[in-house]
Amino acid sequence: MQAGSLGAGADPLASRLPVTVITGFLGSGKTTLLSRLLRHPDMNRAAVIINEFGEVGIDHELVEASSEQMTLLSNGCLCCTVRTDLQETLRELFVKRRSGEVIDFDRVFLETSGLADPAPVLHSLASDGLLGAQYRLNGVVTLVDAVNGMGSLDTMPEAAKQAALADRLVVTKTDIADAAVIEALEARLRAMNPYALISRAVDGMLDPDTLREITPASVKAMTQDPNRWLAGAGAELAPGERASYLGQRLARKNGVHDAAIHSFCLWFDAPFTWDALTASLQVLTALRGPDLLRVKGIVNVEGEPGPVVIHGVQHIFHPPMKLERWHDADRRSRIVFIVRNIPRASIESLFGAVGTLGASTGGP
Amino acid sequence: MASTLPGAGSRPEQTLALNMRLLAHHELQGFGGIGEGMGMQITRDQRRVLWLAHESAPKNFTAVDVTDPRSPKVVVQTELPHAKVRSNSLDIVGDTMIVAYQTREVGMKPAGFDIFDIGTPEAPRLVSHFDASGPHSRGVHAVWFVDGEFVHMAGGAADFTPTHPADDQFYRIVDVRNPSRPVEAGRWWYPGTRVGDSAPPPQRMEPKFDLGFRAHNTNVFPERPDRAYIGYIDGGAVILDIADKANPKLVTIWRYSPPFNGFCHTVLPLFDRGLLIVSDECVRDDGGDWPKLVRVVDARMETNLVPIATFPLAPYNTFAHRGGRSGAHNLHENLPVPASWRSDRIILGTFFNQGVRAYDISDPYQPREAAYFVPGAPKMSPAGAVQLNDVYVDDRRIVYTVDRFIGGLYILEMTI
Repeated sequence: MQAGSLGAGADPLASRLPVTVITGFLGSGKTTLLSRLLRHPDMNRAAVIINEFGEVGIDHELVEASSEQMTLLSNGCLCCTVRTDLQETLRELFVKRRSGEVIDFDRVFLETSGLADPAPVLHSLASDGLLGAQYRLNGVVTLVDAVNGMGSLDTMPEAAKQAALADRLVVTKTDIADAAVIEALEARLRAMNPYALISRAVDGMLDPDTLREITPASVKAMTQDPNRWLAGAGAELAPGERASYLGQRLARKNGVHDAAIHSFCLWFDAPFTWDALTASLQVLTALRGPDLLRVKGIVNVEGEPGPVVIHGVQHIFHPPMKLERWHDADRRSRIVFIVRNIPRASIESLFGAVGTLGASTGGP
Repeated sequence: MASTLPGAGSRPEQTLALNMRLLAHHELQGFGGIGEGMGMQITRDQRRVLWLAHESAPKNFTAVDVTDPRSPKVVVQTELPHAKVRSNSLDIVGDTMIVAYQTREVGMKPAGFDIFDIGTPEAPRLVSHFDASGPHSRGVHAVWFVDGEFVHMAGGAADFTPTHPADDQFYRIVDVRNPSRPVEAGRWWYPGTRVGDSAPPPQRMEPKFDLGFRAHNTNVFPERPDRAYIGYIDGGAVILDIADKANPKLVTIWRYSPPFNGFCHTVLPLFDRGLLIVSDECVRDDGGDWPKLVRVVDARMETNLVPIATFPLAPYNTFAHRGGRSGAHNLHENLPVPASWRSDRIILGTFFNQGVRAYDISDPYQPREAAYFVPGAPKMSPAGAVQLNDVYVDDRRIVYTVDRFIGGLYILEMTI
């Protein structure tokens, strides 16, 4: 029978609504960006969860219908505020969508408050099974203010963490900042997180399209180009110190000291066994969870036809996702680490030790 | 978020969608009431033609060229001989199509099925007619034809006198290996439903749910050519041993109504997983027989069927009073033919005003809603809401679904 395979199941990416987390320090321009986004014609069928309606200042003529916590805008964008906790808000939104009480939105933008650590939001999406059945993380967009960004990064650990966790970095207020300052800031961000794509936005002008498919929209798309997800900015994934070395050099040159947060990509020639991979990640999260800001990897696991995608934020990992096949001939595992105060060598030796352990105990 | 958004409440004209996208909608030349017969032909010149049996007169069947699913074109639309007959069901193997005929009253004709040669889809050629009419027969309600050799069907017969008039359609096997001379190969009826049976007539449902002990869908798959899986309406799910077609033997009956509200419609086996998917048919408007369900049944031991889950229901408040019927009906039946999609993880069904819905049963204990599409009420819909009646998924994973009254054909893409 040539007909479709009986085993065909749902695509874990395509079957869930993508959530884009928008974060950034106080005054970084989140409100301006969100006000612009809400009005954009391409935001039809988007749901935007914000902290306060008052903040984004929605004009009355834009409002199609509204209730205490939700507003439907004339472009088809649904805007709502968080009153209880975020998980509850997302769950209720889905239930209302299903019953036709709100538009059938196809993506969600989520604003975190300026002081917030975005990690718990990412943890909720990874570990709340009910939520994870309906939603998936598309990516983290961090806004950094060109005027005050340096200061925030210097003095506020939350700001540095927001930048380190990002898939997209948006430098705002570049129209009123000195060109040298902007360059220095961008260099510093690149040093911290060379894998995030950096763009600039003046007065909140950002095409919502640039925030689409930060994570590919289906397993098929992910299979075709997993490296794009791994390093949206096209940063070198090549083995060696290049990315972090360059970053550190740039950082030193610019007179800043973010060596605490740095990133690198580890490559592994031999395939992992499931046991060795799981054990390595368990040991790593148990020992250094809080400092393991973000881990993204494409891993060759013995017995799997394609690579296994891993993704963790601090101590919480998403369920691993199996791709159907390798996108190119290079079957080596590659794992990107964005960490705080963990030398690259200690992660390398940990993987080495656990791997040896797996081998010496005569794993399957 | 306690309050709902004013103006955005669930209205029948509202389209609802999750992981499904409308590619095209065709009103079928103003005759958009389709029954539960859908089949795809891949023609010799590699066109894809979807054949649809109408729900009621005046039209018999319509063929739609769906080679480009975004641009469906009607190829042919045929008439019934009179207003008191309906086709409702059809199936296709190669260039051979079987079309059922059921009459409104007993004793009328044509009651049985036609065999057509559809080698030239524009001009279907009648090969022969199998007569199932009789003084107590309304003819044939549903056919199953997937091997090119035997038609399995729910039908009456001239020599069959039911103990209750609603029990006239039983399971019949017809040999069509010589298409110009179809002959009966075997039959089975629910014990006690034929005058002269030694068994007493079965205990009927309470009057408001008493819809009969009749066969509905009668499915036989090449994986188990010795088994027939039958939805027997108020009799529940039935498995027969048909190794000897002339003498089908009962393997098991699983009757779950009462306490449920009757009308077992489809029994779909998922062989590699030891499961059955059993669907009801909702037959009352306005939530009158809610809940009409789709069940996951552990069938590893076929003589001890154990229900382990139901597909999650669509919200009552949104749909029960949205207009017309609201609840389970036809499933995409994994037809063992080249043009049909087959999956034992994703199950699609139509649910009348709840639209077409796809469920992920990777975990059979926890079926999950994976996708749905609820078209807004079709223009001039007598039910006031869409009434999706049947669904077919082709091997390209394109989803075809039809309205029972007027909306015609909706062609969808699943993005799961």
